[in-house]
Amino acid sequence: MAIIEVVSLDKIYNDSAVEVTALKNINLSISSGEFTAIVGPSGSGKTTLLNLIGGLDYPTSGKIRVGDVWLNELKGFRLIDFRLHNIGFVFQSYNLIPVLTALENVELIMQLQGVSAKERRKRATELLHRVGLGDRCDSRPSKLSGGQQQRVAVARALASKPKYILADEPTANLDGKSTETLLNVMEELNRDEGVTFIFSTHDQRVINRARRVVLLEDGYINSDTFN
Amino acid sequence: MILSLSWRNIWRNKTRSLVVLSAIALGLWGGVTSMALINGWIKQRTNDIFRNELSHIQIHSPEFLLNEEVDKLFAFDSVQNVLKAIPDIVGYSGRLKLFAMAQSDRANSGMYLLGVNPEDEKNISGIPESIMLGSFLEGSHRIPSLVLGKEAAEELKLVNYEITDKVIECFAERDTTLTKYLSSLSGKQFRSRSALVNELKHSLSNEKHNRWIDAIVDSSARYRLNSAVFFTFQTPQGEMQNAMFRVRGVYRTSNSSFDSRMAFVNINDLASIANIESNHVHEVAVLCSNYENANQIAKSIAEKIGHLEVRSWGQISPEIKFYTAFGDFMGLIYVMIILFALAFGIVNTTMMSVLERYREFGMLMAIGMNRFRVFSMIMLESVLLTFTGGILGLLFSAVFIKIFEISGIDFSVWAEGFEAIGYSPVVYPHITVSNYVVIVLLVILTGILASLWPARKALRLNPMQALRIE
Ligand SMILES: Nc1ncnc2c1ncn2[C@@H]1O[C@H](COP(=O)(O)OP(=O)(O)O)[C@@H](O)[C@H]1O
Ligand SMILES: [Mg+2]
Repeated sequence: MAIIEVVSLDKIYNDSAVEVTALKNINLSISSGEFTAIVGPSGSGKTTLLNLIGGLDYPTSGKIRVGDVWLNELKGFRLIDFRLHNIGFVFQSYNLIPVLTALENVELIMQLQGVSAKERRKRATELLHRVGLGDRCDSRPSKLSGGQQQRVAVARALASKPKYILADEPTANLDGKSTETLLNVMEELNRDEGVTFIFSTHDQRVINRARRVVLLEDGYINSDTFN
Repeated sequence: MILSLSWRNIWRNKTRSLVVLSAIALGLWGGVTSMALINGWIKQRTNDIFRNELSHIQIHSPEFLLNEEVDKLFAFDSVQNVLKAIPDIVGYSGRLKLFAMAQSDRANSGMYLLGVNPEDEKNISGIPESIMLGSFLEGSHRIPSLVLGKEAAEELKLVNYEITDKVIECFAERDTTLTKYLSSLSGKQFRSRSALVNELKHSLSNEKHNRWIDAIVDSSARYRLNSAVFFTFQTPQGEMQNAMFRVRGVYRTSNSSFDSRMAFVNINDLASIANIESNHVHEVAVLCSNYENANQIAKSIAEKIGHLEVRSWGQISPEIKFYTAFGDFMGLIYVMIILFALAFGIVNTTMMSVLERYREFGMLMAIGMNRFRVFSMIMLESVLLTFTGGILGLLFSAVFIKIFEISGIDFSVWAEGFEAIGYSPVVYPHITVSNYVVIVLLVILTGILASLWPARKALRLNPMQALRIE
């Protein structure tokens, strides 16, 4: 069974004077262990789709099922709690709290989950090693490069043991080499531990590494190809 | 970790936080010090009242309290035995107290004659220390000694006023323009205060008059010690008795009406003149080691001497409790006003810090930090900031108060007339642990209240919007 099931999803933004149809009749199902890219030009609706799958916003119509839960049935505290325990997030920027060290940033989400201090520390250290930052545990974000910061964000996303990780243009601010390293880390986690990644991008080098590519155009799914 | 996160968040903008922190520290320092001064002053005033007027406990025959009749006496010995056995009692003094008409060579006036044992009185009363002239019933004389209050001495016209060279010299130091006027009065004698005041009124400008008159009159007063004063009073047998005393001491307290009403003589002199059996008294005044225990001690005394009325200061003069409560209340109002003003600064700082971290809050809410936790985090930061400033302010205050609790703060520079009316110009700041506790709670409450608005702002944010990159 697919872990994510998107059924005839529409999203219309009407908070400004003009109505914007960001997504139109999206049907999509994503299985556990996928390494999927949502691609498309700027304004095609990538972020909107990821926000909906991430439970950050409600669709105008249509439904999203995650595991055996319909997201549109969750409100307020229960939705936030669902995100905390089921979905990992990596954003384009502003992922980390500047006054916390890399280790503490990873620990914070586990503290929100109520994991004991000892276990938090152990798992956070482990995860930072896994993303190749074992020696930067005590560095604050400002002392890390953009690529390193994104890898801390991946470790943080992983720390909460989510069903899948959503990454909205995680490489948009990175140079070629950092992009490469980040993708290697993500690929490794996907291959060795079956972590499900769904990420958006419009960078061809990133698209080339995805195993499934969903192409959005003006809010429609134009194509959905498995490599 | 949340606590240390909040602490680090405060120091993200060092200058801004330091400014608020110092404002809180300084504001509280001012507020708490004022509170301590008010408290200290009221404590001194109540202490004056205890020492000079009330004592902590008074014992009378119940009938005496009705009309203060001379024959309502009781034996001192039995009471003394009871008092001796109570450890918390610092001292006690048996007194005769009868109303008398006093007559000097120039005037007369009604007042109480208090017959006391000078040694016992010294243990419990501030009057022997308030002697401004002569002594408190020392030595033995053929004609018995009398100690009058300053006002009583003036009412009986036992004072001459004279502008001596010494007075002129003394005031020349303070205001040279006075010299000429004072010199013109040099050598003249005035028989009453008002005569001198009137004379000075002609020669001095209004402003100068108001400023200096009390000081000039006080320093030119010449009390006629050793003058004879006749007292007429009723004996317990119902006969009128007449007796002569000589003024051998003048005292002054901060309560001029007390000073005009109470004259002290030796209890043995008064007993023999008034034909009162020795060892019988009208009143026993008791001083305890702590005024707060007075009520309890009064009860235990009363249990042992059932036929007498034993009253603690709280029963004699309940308004004193009100002074203390009022002082605490005033101090708190002071601190609250200051905290209220500071709250604006705290709100501003917290608000700026929230707005600067809009995206960060969006991110935290997106990954799963619920509103309650966001709210708590902002509140914690505000409380931590306020609390740190508050603790600093309280530390300043504590040090300041500790220093001046012993040496006192001399206000004579600002309060010229203070001493003239008998108040000490030195105030000893005083503050209790419970005052500190209440202030700390108020500080925390301020931190909480000041965080409400910024926290509300953060809670209204939509994580998706906050994270959207334009
Ligand atoms: N909060 C919003 N309010 C109004 N319009 C929005 C909002 N978010 C996105 N849009 C619009 O929806 C469309 C899709 O945007 P988005 O999902 O951000 O695309 P992408 O991430 O592919 O660049 C765009 O036309 C954008 O202007
Ligand atoms: Mg986008």
